[in-house]
This record gives sequence, C-alpha cells and structure tokens, in this order.
Amino acid sequence: MITCHLVEGKFETRLCQGFDEITQSVNTGREALAVIPLDAIIKILDALGKRVLKNPEINTLPGVSYISLWLRRENLDRICRVNYSDKRYLDGFCQSETNILMMAQPRGIVCHWIAANMPTLGFFSIVQAILSKNGSMVKMPGEYVTLILSILRELPEISVDYEGTTYSGKSLLDAIAIVTFEGKSTRVSEKFSLAADCRIIFGGSEAVRAISRLPCRDHCETIIFGPKYSFTVFGREYIESDGFKRSLDQLAKDVAVFNQMACSSPHVVFVEKSRYSVEVIASWLRDSFERLPGALRNQEISSGLSAKIINARARYLLSDGKNCVAPGDLGWTILIDQEICLEEPIQGKCIFTKEITSVDEVIPLVNHKIQAVSIGILDPAKREAFARQVAYRGADRIVIPGTIHDFILPWDGIMTLNRLVRWVILRNN
Amino acid sequence: MSDADQVSPEGGWTRDVIVALPPYSQDDRHKNEFLLPIIKEQLEIARCNNQQIDNYFSKQGIGIDAIQKLEDVPYIPVQMFKVFDLRTCSEQEIVKILQSSGTTGGTPSRIPLDKATTLNQIKALKSILSDYLGERRKIFLVIDHEGINSPKMAFSARTAGVRGLSIYAKKIFYLLKEEDGKLSLNMPVIREVIENYSHEDVYAFGFTYIIWTVFYEQLKAEGIQFSFKDFTLFHGGGWKKMQELAVSKEAFSDTIAEVFCTQPGNILDFYGMAEQTGIIFVDCEHGNKHVPTFSQVIIRDPFTLEPCDTGKTGFIEVMSILADSYYDQAVLTEDLGVLVGVDDCPCGRKGRYFRFVSRVEKAEPRGCGDTFRESGR
Repeated sequence: MITCHLVEGKFETRLCQGFDEITQSVNTGREALAVIPLDAIIKILDALGKRVLKNPEINTLPGVSYISLWLRRENLDRICRVNYSDKRYLDGFCQSETNILMMAQPRGIVCHWIAANMPTLGFFSIVQAILSKNGSMVKMPGEYVTLILSILRELPEISVDYEGTTYSGKSLLDAIAIVTFEGKSTRVSEKFSLAADCRIIFGGSEAVRAISRLPCRDHCETIIFGPKYSFTVFGREYIESDGFKRSLDQLAKDVAVFNQMACSSPHVVFVEKSRYSVEVIASWLRDSFERLPGALRNQEISSGLSAKIINARARYLLSDGKNCVAPGDLGWTILIDQEICLEEPIQGKCIFTKEITSVDEVIPLVNHKIQAVSIGILDPAKREAFARQVAYRGADRIVIPGTIHDFILPWDGIMTLNRLVRWVILRNN
Repeated sequence: MSDADQVSPEGGWTRDVIVALPPYSQDDRHKNEFLLPIIKEQLEIARCNNQQIDNYFSKQGIGIDAIQKLEDVPYIPVQMFKVFDLRTCSEQEIVKILQSSGTTGGTPSRIPLDKATTLNQIKALKSILSDYLGERRKIFLVIDHEGINSPKMAFSARTAGVRGLSIYAKKIFYLLKEEDGKLSLNMPVIREVIENYSHEDVYAFGFTYIIWTVFYEQLKAEGIQFSFKDFTLFHGGGWKKMQELAVSKEAFSDTIAEVFCTQPGNILDFYGMAEQTGIIFVDCEHGNKHVPTFSQVIIRDPFTLEPCDTGKTGFIEVMSILADSYYDQAVLTEDLGVLVGVDDCPCGRKGRYFRFVSRVEKAEPRGCGDTFRESGR
C-alpha cells in the first residue's frame, strides 16, 4: 500500500494502489515548471528560504536554518553555474560552439529514495530536481514527512515578479509528490522504480544495492549517493597553531551533527605527532564536546547503539595501549589508540583518535569509499600535495573542520544537476 | 524487619553466611552493607590478578576505597567475556572454563571457574531452587534432547539450564529427541514418564521457544497431556522469537499449564546467563523476577547509564558475590528490563523484583555513513 502525502499541490494523506495517478499529476506539474525561467525559480526558492526562517513553527527544527542559508540566491546561482556552466541553457537553446546550439532538458520524473539519517535530506534532493526543472516523486522516511511538508507548505504563499511576469511557488509544488511505502515490498518498489526517468538513491550499502537492482526504463538515469566514510587529519604545525582548539570545536560539531549517521560524518581523527600528546589533544576535544549545545550533545540513540558504544568503551579501557575518554553518559566518546587504520563506524559521536608520525601515513588508507577528508594542514604546499594524493586514491571532498557537512555541489564527486538533465543539440542551418 | 532489627550475624556477613541465608529473606536496603565489603575485597584481588581489569580501573581513575555503594561498582559489559580473559585468580586454580555460545552464536564467552566458585554457584542455585521446589529431590523432565547435555556440545543457555537445574533431580528424562538436526517428541520416554511417574513430584526445564514450537505443537497433534502429583516448569530464553509469534508470557503459561494439568502459577519463566551461573531470577506467582540475597540487580538508563527508578526500562546489570575466579561482581547485560518494586512483592519475597523486557536490538550502521571497506576487492 502506498501513502501519498502530497500530490497536485494538495497536502492530503491518501492511500493509493499504484503510481499511475501520481505520475500523471507530477507530469502535468512539471510541464508548467519547464517554462518558468531558471532565475525566477531561484527567486522563488530564495523567498522560500527567507519564509521558513520567519516561521516559528519550523525555524527551530534541526537543519532548517541551514536550508535557509543554502537557498540564498547567490548560492543557488553558484550551484547552477558550476553544474551548467551557463544558466541560460535551462531556459532555451544557446550558442555553445560554432553551428551548435545546446539546451539542457529535464529528464522527466525523478524518483527519490531518501535515507533515514538526515531529516532535511529529502528537501535538498527535491530542490536539485526543481533546479533542473524535473518533476519529483519522493519516497520519504515516514518520520521526516511532517518536517518536509511543513517546509513545502510555504511554497504556495510565494509569488515573485521576474521580467514583468508573476510566478507562483505553487507551480513548483505541483511538480512534487511525497509518498511513503514499505521498502521491503518488491512489487511497490518495482512500480516506483519503473515510474522514473531518473532515480536518485540515498542510503547504506544494502539499500543502495537493493534499489539499484529494481527494474527501470531503458533511458532511466540512476544517481547513487551511496555508503561513504569520512575522517579528519591534523598536521603538526596546525596543531601547534593558535586556532587549533577552535578547530576541535568544529570537529566536535562535525561529529555531532547527524549523530555520525551521515556519509560526511568523521569517525577517525588522525593527529600528527606534535608538542602536544594525543592525551592532551583528547582532553581538549573532550572540552569541545562538552561545549556542544544540549540538543547536539544529548541526541537520542537506540539501546542497540548504546550497547555498541558501551562495548567499544570497555574494549578500549580493558586493553593495553588503548584508552577511552568519555563522560558518565553516552553523550560522546573518544577512543584512543596508535594503530594507523580506519575503524568501522560506531556512530553516536564515537571518534577514534590516533597519533601519526606524518600525515602521509594516512594516504594509503584512502579508497573509493572515502567521501570527505577534513584537513587541518597549515603549509599550502603540504596541504595541496596531501589533497592531490587522497583525491587520486578516491576521496571526493577535501574540506576544513566545521564544513564537512556543507552541501556544496559536487557531492560524492557528482555534479548532480548536470546528471539531472539531458544535453540536447540544435545544429544551425 | 526494621532497621533496628537488622543484626549482623556472629562472625559478620561472610559470603558463606549470606549464601546460606534463605535467598529472599533480606531487605534491599541492607544489601549495600553486607554485599559491598565482600565485593570490594574481590575487586582488590581482581585488580591484582588481572592486568586488563587493572587497566579498566586505573584508566577511569576508580579507587576501590572510594566506592560507597553497589551502584558505583564498575560494571563490565557481558560481551567482554568474548574478547578478554577476565580471570581473577591464578591460572593453576582454574578447574574448568565454561564456553558459552549464548543464544545468538558467534564467538563464545569464556568463563573460568575455580573450585570455590563452582561450589558457591551450586549452593546458590540450590538455595534459589529450594525456595520454589522445596528441599526434596524430584523427577526432572528436560524438554530438550539428551545431546544438549553432552560434554561434546558447546555450552549454551540450554546446556546451562539443564546442568544447573539437574542438581535437584533424582532422575532425569529427556522428552525430545534430535534426528538430522530436527527436534521431535521422544515417545518411548514420554510414555514411560506418563505410565510410571504420574504420582510423583516433578519439575521440568525447557527453552521457551522450543517448548512452544516443538513440544507443545507436537503434543497437541498427538493429543498428549501429563498429570503429576505436583509440577513446576522452569523455562527461559527465546522471547524475541516468541514475540514474533505474538505469544505473550501469560498466553504461554496458560497453555502450557493445561498440557501439564497444573496452574499457570507453576509455569515459571526465569532469567539467567552463563556469565552468572548459579543465579537465576525466577518468576514468582505474580510474574516478577526476584533477586536473591547474594546478588543485586540494577536497571541502568540506556543513555545516562544512571540507575533507573521503578517503572523505567533500562539495561539489566547483574551483580554477584559468588565468583573468585572471574569478574562477575558487576556485569552489564545486553538485555532490557524494568524494576517493578523493592521488598514489597505480594509473594512475600524480599529484595528487588524486576521484569525482563527484551533483548537489545543489534545496531546496524544507519544512514549513508558506512564502512570504509570497498566492496568487491
């Protein structure tokens, strides 16, 4: 059984047997979306960002203030420019080379499978589909439906003037359907997949593999934001610099946001040997964790995850040559050892802390599963050499502490908007 | 008994004295007084004899002298028995190592036992069982196959139950048989029991899930019922699967009581583990599990890890004074329970009483954060 929470711009919960009606509605909606100039769409989204920030019912929810920042016109402009090189390609045929005009056409209906780790993830995925003028059918984790709908509810209230025409946010909303259904139901999942001209899949390994195997139409493009792993590296000069403690605050925040469930969440921090021992650095990091706002420090965790953390702490406390710094509760955990390796994620703010002789020791650990490496390396030459090496081996994003979750395209090495369109040519006579 | 009535026995509260007491005779508030000194002494010895345990205390800056109450005793998670040697006496003193595969399989727990610990465990279990069965030995029915008690088999919760409960047996019958890995009724034995022992006092043990899905199902199909002079069934384990079958504890007791022509109050669920052999927490007629004198149970909040008040679900921590040979003074389980009350269960047993809620669900990494290992390489 499929539960539809939003279709035809109406926020009504209704049960559906299949996707035919929903597909039809989204197709109608996307026709209207396709003729809106991209700049007008950006203007509507910019207005949406400002509205959600003013809405007291949603502006305190996790991630909403970041959405508002992310929807700023300058940011969306930049994203479109990076992806399309020229925004005009979205609105009509433009000259690219001699004798060839080019236009970016939306693929059609994008079916989104949204992972359950990040409440606002579905929204970012929808906006990318809008910025490529696609319709969206979004399979959302049930627990996040209310949040996403409350943001989208602002859209019909928005109208913008662009080059003498008024455009309504309702036109964007009409091209979106939000559904929930049991992912284990192969029959429903197959129908959903077959409705797609493009599939965006977010999730862990098992989910991504299962969804990728679903049948899809021959022309369907599949964009996978699959399972990834992230970590942090600090060089000696950086550790000995004045700003290091501030960076540990940023690291604590990176660890805490999404409670380490995101692909961009760091699980290990490598610290190059410096005048400060790893124990001293761990004590500073402890202070950083304790300075986190209560909502980040004391996030709810399952009893299964509690047991996992308790076991990890005990293993480190009982072992020779390892240590654990942690409070009496399960708010955060620092696990210290000397083994130069990546560690299986525990989640729930458990960060493995390891001392290394040189940042170069980390390079062989990087593979294609690595998404983000946040680095604190002062010397520009050393920094770039390190970045080149880890990028070559598979890392997609090399960032600085405190920015690891910033949703900047490309993401996972993918120019999403570019993948969401077909590049069509028109030869001049 | 009031505070003023609490009199230290002659020679003080030694472990032998405590184990010899009726198991549910002491008020909970006195436990700190008589268990803590013994546990602190055991912790000192544990630290001296085991580098890992010493690490555990020193890294957390725990001084044994500073421990003021049972809740402060450092607990070790039960999984650590699979990873570390938690022996607390010299290797020469070890007479047996229990290897428990647990109910979920995988790496076994290793529990080293010396002579004194084994004896204490037997005394403790006898004391608990006598409270439920009386002092006389009885016919013991095992609702499992005989191989479960074979020395060749890995030590499991089922083995522990059979071996532990057999100390009250004057004769043992295994009511199931195993063929090609499948359990079925052992009909010749069942017939023998019905024909020759119906006039006897009988007690039985079985794994809850096996009793329900194999024993009860097949008895029903065969139309077999038992009737004994007196009957008590101890059963435990497999509640996760029973929950999947939507069979409640009450429904189980009612149904199985009919099979044995007895009252549901004689069908007793118990909670125990190989890491604390010698202690089982048995249901009373009000469905509460009682903590014997030589043990304590603390329910800990799954996030703050602080002791929970009554009515709040948390991790079950079990404490004991029985072992000299391994760290069983405070073991944090991966089971969830709820403290129901203290000293005032209508059954009259003193001490804390609690209920088992569920096993902790295994936590798989959630979201798109995942292993760093590449697939297919």
